[in-house]
Amino acid sequence: MHEMSIAMSIVDIACKEAQKDGAKSISVIELDVGKLAGVMVDSLMFCYESVCKGTPAENSKLLVNEVTGMGECLKCHFEFEIDSFMALCPQCESYEVKIKQGRELKLKAVTVNE
Amino acid sequence: MCDSCGCGLPGETVTFRKHGEEHQHHGAGATHTHADGTTHTHTHDHDHNHGHDRTLAIEQDILGENSLLAQRNRGYFEAKNVFTINLVSSPGSGKTTLLEKTLTDINDIACAVIEGDQQTMNDADRVAATGVPVLQINTGNGCHLDAEMIHTAYTELKLKNDSLLFIENVGNLVCPALFDLGENKRVVVISVTEGDDKPIKYPSMFDTADICVINKIDLLPYVQFDVAKCKEYALQVNHHLEFFELSATTGEGLEAWYSWLHASIKK
Ligand SMILES: Nc1nc2c(ncn2[C@@H]2O[C@H](COP(=O)(O)OP(=O)(O)O)[C@@H](O)[C@H]2O)c(=O)[nH]1
Ligand SMILES: [Mg+2]
Ligand SMILES: [Zn+2]
Ligand SMILES: [Zn+2]
Ligand SMILES: [Zn+2]
Ligand SMILES: [Zn+2]
Ligand SMILES: [Zn+2]
Repeated sequence: MHEMSIAMSIVDIACKEAQKDGAKSISVIELDVGKLAGVMVDSLMFCYESVCKGTPAENSKLLVNEVTGMGECLKCHFEFEIDSFMALCPQCESYEVKIKQGRELKLKAVTVNE
Repeated sequence: MCDSCGCGLPGETVTFRKHGEEHQHHGAGATHTHADGTTHTHTHDHDHNHGHDRTLAIEQDILGENSLLAQRNRGYFEAKNVFTINLVSSPGSGKTTLLEKTLTDINDIACAVIEGDQQTMNDADRVAATGVPVLQINTGNGCHLDAEMIHTAYTELKLKNDSLLFIENVGNLVCPALFDLGENKRVVVISVTEGDDKPIKYPSMFDTADICVINKIDLLPYVQFDVAKCKEYALQVNHHLEFFELSATTGEGLEAWYSWLHASIKK
């Protein structure tokens, strides 16, 4: 279950940052997750709650911002929104599309308190 | 959820979709789109009142630590001129059989193998019978190998200079896609007893692979598998993919695979 190890990394990074800041607990963890990141958000949320137990992030809220996919056609250089790896250029119908955005899996911010 | 590895957390994420229906119904999820067009999902609020909240900007890649470790592995492999191959596939596509055959036939290059499975030493035992050094990693419930496991394994194996290292990942077409191990090439194996539409069913794995091996071609007369169509799908996902069509049991098509391995190590 890779969502489980991802949830563990998230809580781990967040707890370290909170500790560095001298905070006692974490109330919100905010992520950017690309549509093509290969992570099931529902499943991540499920894992998150169990991973948080017994850590400063217990009872915290996980906020996931969805990042849309963007591709650039390598033939005609048209840029367009994509929602899968099989992106077809709407302008010249080529499949040679470079993914420019949508693979993000980033911890953006942590809200902490004393 | 990883439906291919059977690691089974509760089916919270089931999507029900009827034939011909374009949109999806999610079984769970607080995903919603706000007026400004942003879409997000969140766990439920716990409503504890905090007066002194402050937000720390982190901007950190969640898999960053794995990526760093993978880069460290890559540096080590490069320094020793070890060419490393990460073999990924569904369970049963023939990774271990291809390894057994390859290790038996290639005598002029030193080889080593790291085996990943959730349980058992079976694959390591099969590989060990060829006389090649092998280390088994059992991941328990884990559905993929990561860069740190590989670091521990190759330290134990004591790799030779100018050698080949094969890593057989856990049989699963979903999760291993996300975890860079520091390999030179990622090889996805698909067998003709699987559907020829696998590349579009599991696109992220085909997207991150460099090579696609189509295995069990000896069975082509008996199954409905359109090789051309499979390749076409795979290329739609990743137009850089190179293909080898072979049978790990009859040996058909293995020459090209061996030539490629030899050419890779010389560089
Ligand atoms: N007919 C045929 N069977 C194969 C071939 N390669 C592997 N197999 C069989 O497929 C089954 C699974 O192979 P294995 O190497 O264990 O798959 P892995 O799970 O990917 O390591 C075994 O029964 C193999 O004998 C092939 O090229 N042709
Ligand atoms: Mg195997
Ligand atoms: Zn997984
Ligand atoms: Zn899994
Ligand atoms: Zn185009
Ligand atoms: Zn509907
Ligand atoms: Zn909201």
